Amino acid sequence: MEPERAVASSGPPGDGGAEASRGMAGAATMTKVVVAVDASEESLHALSWALDHVVRHHPGASLVVVHAQHPADHFVYPVAAHGLAYIPPTAMESMKKTQEENTRKVVARALEVCAQRQVTAKATVVEGDPKEAICQAVEDMHADLLVLGSRGLGMIKRALLGSVSDYLAHHASCPVLIVKPPKAHTKGTGNST
Amino acid sequence: MAEEAGASAAPVGGDGKMTMVVGVDESEHSYYALQWTLLHFFSPGQVQLYRLVVVTAKPTAASAVGLAGPGAADVLPMVEADLKRSSLRVIGKAKELCAQVSDAVFEVVEGDARNVLCEAVERHHAEMLVVGNHGYGAIKRAVLGSVSDYCTHHAHCTVMIVKKPKHKH
Repeated sequence: MEPERAVASSGPPGDGGAEASRGMAGAATMTKVVVAVDASEESLHALSWALDHVVRHHPGASLVVVHAQHPADHFVYPVAAHGLAYIPPTAMESMKKTQEENTRKVVARALEVCAQRQVTAKATVVEGDPKEAICQAVEDMHADLLVLGSRGLGMIKRALLGSVSDYLAHHASCPVLIVKPPKAHTKGTGNST
Repeated sequence: MAEEAGASAAPVGGDGKMTMVVGVDESEHSYYALQWTLLHFFSPGQVQLYRLVVVTAKPTAASAVGLAGPGAADVLPMVEADLKRSSLRVIGKAKELCAQVSDAVFEVVEGDARNVLCEAVERHHAEMLVVGNHGYGAIKRAVLGSVSDYCTHHAHCTVMIVKKPKHKH
């Protein structure tokens, strides 16, 4: 899908490499913004922030909400803040159903936040390790910008605190915008990353 | 210690604009980040929602060289002058790139880049900090330290990391 050439180029369009000369991929407009969401409040806040501060500024941009779902055959789940428990295969079915339900809820909530600001967004669900899956999705979609909350993008919060955003900041194929939780929540808990 | 290399007034914009701080150093990666930001947020046809503040950190001579012993006192002023020239060059190039932005502020602040950028965010009450990153691998980052990682975790605002793509597609 070619982004529309906003600038009228004088002369024959034979030089396909004209855009490459600038070193920037695509036209000056931001055509695709991808926001990674999960069940956490932080990611929803990141979505709202992106809508208010970035998407508003680029009316032509399309927004895609991405949710990374842990693979269904993931047979451990977190207990409390940092425990792990193994579940028997018999409970897999119900866990899978619960997971799909959660995914639906997360996506629905995210799309609602977009709709509240009159932005139509698409949603994509990817499976697998969140950081790699999101990284791959961003590349496949040729995103211009990836937006993340700064923490809480994994179920095992303590162990993975911030590692998804770190990974994506270094590996994503486009610029990454990391939104901090609103100030009221950061200080006072002593949980600095 | 902050010297304002650009002509500008109080940090709070009276026009209701939000503030964006962009950190630059001598690397191509940070100029790329600045250009990307200009292209997407400050291009001439667009309504400018942000006030642009471009900051570069000038390391102190003592931190850059780490000399001790006889002769150190003679070398330090040269190193200092060199560092100063280098930061002015960085800011000069940034000013050229930002020619179309009407009210951009340019600052050279002495200190370590990590602290300088986070402190600039505080000072300007910025809503966003933009940095490039050198594309170091995990080991290099552990050894050399990563300013973008530090800022992502410690700056009190949204951080945007713009990487220079390794290859054009």
